[in-house]
Amino acid sequence: MRTLILGLILVTGAPRAGEWHVDGSAANRVVFHSSTTLLDFKGETDALDGYIYIEKDSLPAENAEVYIEVSPAAFNTGNGKRDRDMREDVLHTDKYPLSWIRGRLHILERDAAHYKVVVRGMFFLHGVSRPVDINGTMVARGKYLSVEGRFSVFLKDYNIRAPELLAFIKVAEKIDISARITLIRVK
Amino acid sequence: MWIKGLFYIVVFSTLADAQPSWKRKEGQRKAPLERFHSIQLASLPTTELLARGDFFYEIAHRFGPVSSGMEGFFGLDGPVNMRTALAYGLSDRLMITLGRSNIMDNVDLIFKYGISEWDNSMLPMTFALRGGLALNSEVYSPGGKRAVRDSRNFQYFGQFIVNSVILEKKLGLGLAPSLIYNSFIFASDYRLKTKYTINFSFYAQYYFNRMWSLFAEYGMVTGGWQGGVTLAEAENFRSTNSVSAGVAIETGGHVFYLFITNNRRLNSSQYLIGADAPFRLKKLVLAFSITRVL
Repeated sequence: MRTLILGLILVTGAPRAGEWHVDGSAANRVVFHSSTTLLDFKGETDALDGYIYIEKDSLPAENAEVYIEVSPAAFNTGNGKRDRDMREDVLHTDKYPLSWIRGRLHILERDAAHYKVVVRGMFFLHGVSRPVDINGTMVARGKYLSVEGRFSVFLKDYNIRAPELLAFIKVAEKIDISARITLIRVK
Repeated sequence: MWIKGLFYIVVFSTLADAQPSWKRKEGQRKAPLERFHSIQLASLPTTELLARGDFFYEIAHRFGPVSSGMEGFFGLDGPVNMRTALAYGLSDRLMITLGRSNIMDNVDLIFKYGISEWDNSMLPMTFALRGGLALNSEVYSPGGKRAVRDSRNFQYFGQFIVNSVILEKKLGLGLAPSLIYNSFIFASDYRLKTKYTINFSFYAQYYFNRMWSLFAEYGMVTGGWQGGVTLAEAENFRSTNSVSAGVAIETGGHVFYLFITNNRRLNSSQYLIGADAPFRLKKLVLAFSITRVL
């Protein structure tokens, strides 16, 4: 009986889940691009965090849980005034300090360690949460996962409106967002 | 009994494993350090930079003495010293400025480079280097009018800029120790040996809100030449420490600086030699600078 119990512990208690966290030491980047007739600019940050989690011990795996968060206040467009306008007048980062994506991973194609994937879930920005599909690629190298993704949002969908007088920021209605993230396996 | 205990351990360990162990790394979320709202105050530079590809335009005037009263419309009738300049962001850390003042038609070409920042909760700091050359392109010396590209017409200068924005982003403080070479372009005409000026400038700006702020600049010559700048100021003239104070108004991409000062010089290679008048009520002049990020 004791042998049975010990065996049960070894089988069920052993780590089965796979979990990868954003590697803070890697060159992670989230970049947004705004393009208007008068002005093109981009903002970028490495202030992101999150994880990919799957109950099975393999990855990439269908239906893995994905959570990535970014601090909009940390976006740097290379112009302090524009950054300040963006934080205070556009994204209201004091009120909404985090933006995040939470969804499930779906594998579209696989070629050895290279995966073409889509994350289907919700994108939270400026107090509004909306469904989003993010197409991307994923490369597995040992304990690391390199993930790249790209999607677009319409600012009006997130109740974002650029002020007309005080702010020096000419924002396009459609913003393109891209991300390059490295995750490291933690269990 | 112990079998029951082991059973619970197995169940709980399995359930615990069914949740991600991720916890937010608080240290990762850092906004860029707060900086002054513009790449310069009325006369002195800040550590703020243009983004790559951004243009910046400046127009600045220094009028006559306020003490001229209604007759001179408090100095607005002139004469007026003026500067106009255009800056461009070569990269997110390097910008170039081309400016011109009507004092000896001084044209300056300036580079500013953002060195680094020091994130400290008590006194966060940002650092930049600024350096350039100036050509006085219309110079009448004791020997007559000089050729435009006469080597004596060139001046060189460098500044180390340190900024800190504190008190919940309301108070900006800045230092800008500066070195100017060939401060007095007529030095050789008067057989003067002192070719340089050391200036220690500092400034502060207090932001009441997004639109309104007050600022003050103080420029102190601590070494080298502190005489005149123009030929008319060649003999027995002593520049004094610069004082400027006024209000800054931000609207959109514009910043309007409206202030009083005792220094009617505008371009760095002239302004940093000191003020052309002592800081006395009768000598103060009205002035403005308007800047626009394009």
